[in-house]
This record gives sequence, structure tokens and C-alpha cells, in this order.
Amino acid sequence: MASPRRDGPVWKPRAENQLLAHDLPRVDGPLKVSGRARYSHDVRLPGMLYGRLVCCPVPCAEVAVDLAGALKLPGVEAAVVVHEGTTRTVGQVVAAVAARTVEEAEDGARAVRLSIEELPWAVDREQALAPQAPAVTRRGNRRERGEDGDAEAVARALAESHAVVEATYSLPVQHHVCLETHGCVCDYRGGDEATIYASTQATFGIARDAARVLDIPARNVRTIVHHMGGGFGSKFSLDIHGRVACMLSKECSRPVHLLVDRSTEFHTGGNRSGSRQHLRGGVSAEGELTALEAEAEMFGGVGGGAVARMPYIYSVGRVHARRASVHTHTDSSRAMRAPGHPQASFAMESLVDELATAGGFDQVEFRKRNLADPVYHRQLDRVALEIGWPGHPHRSAPGDAEGIEAVGIGFGVSVWGGGGSADACECEVRIERDGGVTSSMGSQDLGTGVRTYLAAIVAEELGLELSAVEARLGDNRLPKANASGGSVTTGSAAPAIKDAAHEARVAFAEHLAEVLGVDTGSVTFDGGVVRAGKETLSWSAACETLPDEGLRARGVWREHLQASGVHGAQAARVRVDLETGRVRVEKMVCVQDQGLPLNRLALRSQINGGMIQALSYALLEERLIDPDLGLLLSDNLEDYKIAGSLEIPELVAIIDDDDERAAPIGMAEAVVIPGAAAIANAIHNACGVRLRHLPLTPTKVLEGLAARARGEEVR
Amino acid sequence: MTRDPHSDPKRPTLSRRTFLAGAGGVAASGALGAHLEAAGAEGAQPEPAILRGTVEITLTVNGRARTLQVEPRTTLLSALRDRLELCGTKSVCERGNCGACTVLLDGEPANACLTLAVSAVGRAVTTVEGLGDEGGLSVVQEELCTHDGLMCGFCTPGFAMSLTAVLARDPEASLDRIREGCAGNLCRCGTYPHVFQAGLEAARRLRGGR
Repeated sequence: MASPRRDGPVWKPRAENQLLAHDLPRVDGPLKVSGRARYSHDVRLPGMLYGRLVCCPVPCAEVAVDLAGALKLPGVEAAVVVHEGTTRTVGQVVAAVAARTVEEAEDGARAVRLSIEELPWAVDREQALAPQAPAVTRRGNRRERGEDGDAEAVARALAESHAVVEATYSLPVQHHVCLETHGCVCDYRGGDEATIYASTQATFGIARDAARVLDIPARNVRTIVHHMGGGFGSKFSLDIHGRVACMLSKECSRPVHLLVDRSTEFHTGGNRSGSRQHLRGGVSAEGELTALEAEAEMFGGVGGGAVARMPYIYSVGRVHARRASVHTHTDSSRAMRAPGHPQASFAMESLVDELATAGGFDQVEFRKRNLADPVYHRQLDRVALEIGWPGHPHRSAPGDAEGIEAVGIGFGVSVWGGGGSADACECEVRIERDGGVTSSMGSQDLGTGVRTYLAAIVAEELGLELSAVEARLGDNRLPKANASGGSVTTGSAAPAIKDAAHEARVAFAEHLAEVLGVDTGSVTFDGGVVRAGKETLSWSAACETLPDEGLRARGVWREHLQASGVHGAQAARVRVDLETGRVRVEKMVCVQDQGLPLNRLALRSQINGGMIQALSYALLEERLIDPDLGLLLSDNLEDYKIAGSLEIPELVAIIDDDDERAAPIGMAEAVVIPGAAAIANAIHNACGVRLRHLPLTPTKVLEGLAARARGEEVR
Repeated sequence: MTRDPHSDPKRPTLSRRTFLAGAGGVAASGALGAHLEAAGAEGAQPEPAILRGTVEITLTVNGRARTLQVEPRTTLLSALRDRLELCGTKSVCERGNCGACTVLLDGEPANACLTLAVSAVGRAVTTVEGLGDEGGLSVVQEELCTHDGLMCGFCTPGFAMSLTAVLARDPEASLDRIREGCAGNLCRCGTYPHVFQAGLEAARRLRGGR
């Protein structure tokens, strides 16, 4: 009989699973709903101090810091200079204090004296590109970032096109708005060891930098991330917040809690770069995209920014595309859920919509005609049916904006990789003599449900209930794992977990075969019992046969246990109030593939979350900086609004079961991409007003309606 | 004031006048006023330029009397999280925008970040740790788990409190009523649809499964 070990691990067909590919309430749900989940914000240690950062109140200045006043205040135990000399971003961190209470720390921060000599700044595009603009980088304020294609071929193809649309699309800077702000608790009490409780997407990514600040060996730095309150791409490093926590802790040899306040978070916690894209596209009389000329500017502050390559997903005959960064004296952009993709999607899907309208084509049929991958065809048909497109009156021309309100439907598609990183994760499964099972990997659960599938994959393999397996993660003393970003975690972690589970099952089967004198192949694990030859043992009786140390199995990444490449289609239906300009999104639908759906419930949550973040981006979010004062105006959650319960439409999250790939793929990025474009397209479909600049506010809708009534168009 | 407020944690170090100057009108509640008057009579001293110092108060949190030292400006949120180490109530926006710090004051939902700790004296404070009984989960909490009404979970305690409050007020709560009840709570992961499902199912169970 073939040894199971030689067969190697394989994912079962979906229908054969007891747990995987089902709805699994997350295993840390009870901890989170009862307030017992301890986030880094919630760590409380003996003698712990609270830290507060001091930010420079102008973007560019020569700054000198005087800590004396702060250090005199009762309760203030430590104060440090973080940066002196020239500052170059709005809200740059220059000093910090630590005190016994939050109130005393706030007093201390206010008592730090800054001597400021203002320098000229450029905080928006106009200031940055003005003739006498101060230089943001040594290489100037506008940097070319690449060029593809043949401009002359595009010009010829455009000249021969049936219709051409030329338009500029823009998107503001967006913030991640993780509810748990950036920072950590640094537990250093002198000596050469420390523990960092961090709110991070990279449990293994911060020990080395913390060790450097603390001047201790990196091997002595333990990092704990048991629960974390959102990252969305903004929390990959120790960051300025964590470094300062370590500086303060080092200064006074006491634990320091430094998780920043909301205003500091908006100033220093990162953002999705804004963009301005000028597109010229052509369409043939038959409805084929013939040519695209694309010029993109990325607004990533002192960073480069991101925008995905053109043409985005669609097939276009001839393409010429250029990208440039326009730098400003603002916080660098960071990765944010599908970096660069929502920006490219908004411009491309809007242009596709405009070209379909110019040629008088059905929006769905036009998209299918210009999408090479047939997966999109079936997905678009599915969302079109679900949103009510077949019976919709305005399929090839927009509504006429008569009456008091108008209903429209819009579409968009998405793409992402989602494969795993080779050999980035390992997993250990332990079975104890008392029947306890643990599945351990140092990875982190950002709210995606990693902890749940860390337990579920093992429980599935051993034929146990989900609750019989304890998942352990968020600790750099556990087996290695990569940072969670780019939807790589599922493809990196799940194969190693599956491998460890398989190894544990085979090793346990071999052990039982030897103890019971039966054939290894006759040992099966199902429904909480073990069958070996003619015997049936309870799980706990089987485990009692193990030696004192129990059983341990290690799993590594296996390429065949993951896959790559996900697709999605989304549709939005909006109701536009033609008197107030208010847009209500009534319904959104998403069909998303991801190979094997490890946990359908958590995946639907992710899909809903993607649509909601896109809705929020489309209608509400915008970073605002006063260019004359250099002040961030939107540094709180009333001036920077995100979607709340009253904005939430009916959401239909569909897991694409026509995708028959056997292995799981990450998909969290994909679902945030097309929603904003779908909403803008739906507004146009409703009332003929094309809005090309996010956010899609009532004012812009009214301006568009007024222009339409005059027979003009707002560019 | 040069006195170290930490040197004698039992002794209030504020005069009534400085206390009220710092805390605004909110502090003039009966029990607290009397407490501070006594303190003022005891500690005759020059008025400080900067208000500083702590006062001992007793809060009733989840049915238990808890005595703690706070400054007049200390929020109920900080009192819970930083003094009593009840960290289920989350600090997110510090200005009443997000609802992550929602607690019940005599059964009514309130933002703990906008409530001074001293103004909660004499009122029943319920936090997320106080939902359910004997360490078990309440119906609302169970349904949040079942319907996956949480992802990163940082907003979840606030939603649990708001749902609890709306269902207590309106056992027949409709979807729209539940939405309104959660209108002060923000979630970034996008759990709202599953939170609404949890609320509707909890309402059905609380009505006796009708």
C-alpha cells in the first residue's frame, strides 16, 4: 500500500470538506466581541508610561527643540528630540515625551518649545509646479517614471477611430484610517532584552530596527501582534512611531505606550497617493478600443506614488503611456490596499464608459468585447443579472435627467495576483497526549481571518471540530511568516499550514499503526474519532498512546498548494436626487474568484469591505490641506469622513464557484478596485452627468446637471 | 502648584474653584460637589496658575464600585482604559466621531471620550466587558460572532454597545432602526452588512424567536 507521506498533501474538492469552503465564524470572535482581545493599544504594564509626539506646525522650517519646559512638568519622565534642522512634510515629528498619565503626556507635549523659522513650501500640485517652487526633492518636483508604447502609432490610430474621447480624471489623496492608530508599546526595562507589542502587518519586520534603537541584539527582541486594528498597507515597518517609543523607553528604562492620537495619525500614518490622469481613447465603429494615449501624474508627497499601468485590464489596439511623480511637502504615500489600482481603474473604467456611450454601445457588451479573459465575461453577465441590467432602460445611452430623481447602473472589473511567496512561511502542528492540538505560525491577522484558517485547515485534516484546534500567531518566537500585504498571506501561509497538518496526520497514523499493529493505510481521522483497522478510538484515547512529548509536525510552503491570479466584476446602482445632487448608492454586487474559498463567511466580509471602502472613496474621502497656511484641515473623522451605517447599500457578495482551481488565492486587494468607477459610471448612466474628479459630491452633481441643461459639459 | 499629586493618592489636591475652572459646569453634580467642597476647605492654598492634581472618585462599572484617582479633565474613556484597565472600550478618534468608545450610562449609549470621568459618578456605567452574564456572551455578542459582524474587531465593542442600546429601546427594531442605532459608529473594514444581520437576528431572538 502506498504511504500517505509519499502522496503529499493535496486540497480536497470543495464538496468533500467538512469545514473548509464553508461558513466559519472566526475563532477569535468571542474575544473580540467581549472586549477581551488585547490589542497593542490595550497593553498595560507595571510602571508603563504614555508617550505623545510633537509635530512641527508648518511643513517646511528650520526647527530647534527645547525640552526643558516639558521635563519640569510633574509626571513627565522622559523627553527626546526626534528631529532638528530642516523639516519637509506637513506634521513632521520633531520631539516626543513620556509621562505617567495620558493627560500629563499631553501637557508635556504642549510644553516642548519649538523655535521655528519658516521656509517656503509646496503642498499641492499648483505650488509644486509653479515656476519658483521650492524643491521638494534634489531631483526636482516633477519626475518622469516611465514611458511605454509608440506615440505616433497611437496618434494614427486615434485619427482613424470612429469616435475619440479626451478627458482628465483625478483622485484625491486617501487615508487608510486604521481604527487602531500606528505605534507600539515598547517594554524595555534596561538590560539587553525587550518586547515590542506592535500594531503591525509584519510581526517579523520590526525586531531588527527596534534592536538598533535600543542598542541590544535583535535576537533578544520579541514582537507580539496578537490582535491588530487594521493596516490596509500602512503598517509594514517599526515606523517613526515605533522608533520614538523605543527611544523614550531606552531613555528611562521603562515600558512606553506610544500609539498616536488621531490627528497625528492623519499627519504621519500614510496615505494612498492622489492622481491626475489625462486620457485620449478611440473606439472603432464595431466597438473595439483602438488606441489610448495616457499621461498620469502621481501625488505621493515626498514619496513616488502609484498608478497601475495603462491600459488597465482592457485590451486596446495601440497604447502610449507615461507616468510622472509630482512631489509635495507632505507625508509619503504608502502601500494602500491594491496600490495604484483604484486610481487606474477609475480613469480607465470611466473612459471605457465614455467611449461606449460615444459609440452608442451597451455598457456590458462593450466591456466584454474589449476584455480578453473569458472569466470577466461570465462575471460581468452575473453581476449584470444581479443588479437588474437586463431590464434597465438606459443600457446604451444615459437617462435624461428629467423629474426629481434618476436611477443608474455602472460597472467595473478588477485584477490581482494573490499568489504566495516561496518559502516565506512555516507552520508547526502539535498534538498533545491530552488531546490538545495547536497550530502555530508567527503571522498576523489583520482582520482577514488568518487565525481561523490556521485552525480550520488542521481541524479539517484531523477530522476534528474547529474549536478542537488552537491557533497561535502574532509572535516572532513562532515559526516564520511574511508580512501581510498584497494579498500574499493566503498563498504563503495556507500551503505551509496544509503541509504541517498533512505531516501531523501521516505521522500520527504511522504511530497508531505501529502501536495497534495495523496497516498505516487503514488509519483514518473523521468526525472526532480515529479508525485503525477494525478498531475505533476516540480522539483522546488515540492521543493517550502518544509519548509524553506528544507529536510535532512541521510544514513548509508547497507551490502546488496555492495559485495566483484573481478576477472580479462589480456593479453599482445609484439613485441621484436631481434637486439636491445627493447620490445614494442603493445596491452593489461583486463576483470574485479566489480558487478554493477557505472560509466563505470571512470572504464575504472581505468582499463587502472592499465595496464599502470603494463607496467611501468615491463619495466622501478627500485629504484637504490649506496651501497658504500649510495646515492639514482634514485631520479628524468629522472633516475626513468615511462611510458609516447610513451610507451602506444593499451589498451582494458572490464567491465565484465557477472558478474550479483547487488551491486558495488571496483576493483582498481585488475587491477594493472597481467600485469607485462603477459608482461614477452609474451616476452618468442615471442622469448623463460625467463626474471625473473624486469625491463625487452633491455640488459636483449639481454643477454637472446645470452644465447639461445649458448644453455644455464640465471637464 | 508645586505639590506632587502622586505623593498622596488619597488626598484630593484641588480647591473647588480650580476644579470647576478646569472641568467646566459638568462637575457641579451633587455628590461630587460636596466631595470637592470638603476638599477645598481642607486644602486652603494659593490658586495655581495651571490646574493640576487628582481627585478620588468612585464609579459604578458593570455593577461594581471602583475607586480611582482622576484629574478633572480625565475622560471616562481614559478612566476606564488607563486607570481601571478595562480596555475593551476603544479609543479611536477622541472627539465623538466614531463610537468605538460607546458605553451605557444608566442604560443610555454615550461616547466615553466626550464624558468626563467625574460626571459619571453616581451613574451606572456598562462597558463591553459587562455585557452577557457569568463571563458568557450576550445575545448581541453571539450574533456578531455568528454573522461575522467583525473583522479587525477594533470597532466591534462599540457596535456591540450601540446594538445593545437600540434593541433595549426598541425590541421590534427594523433594519432602518438598527442602521440609525449604529449611525454613530464607524468601521473601516466594512463589517456593516454583517453587523446589521447580527442586530436583526439578535432582535428576533430577544423577542423570543417570533
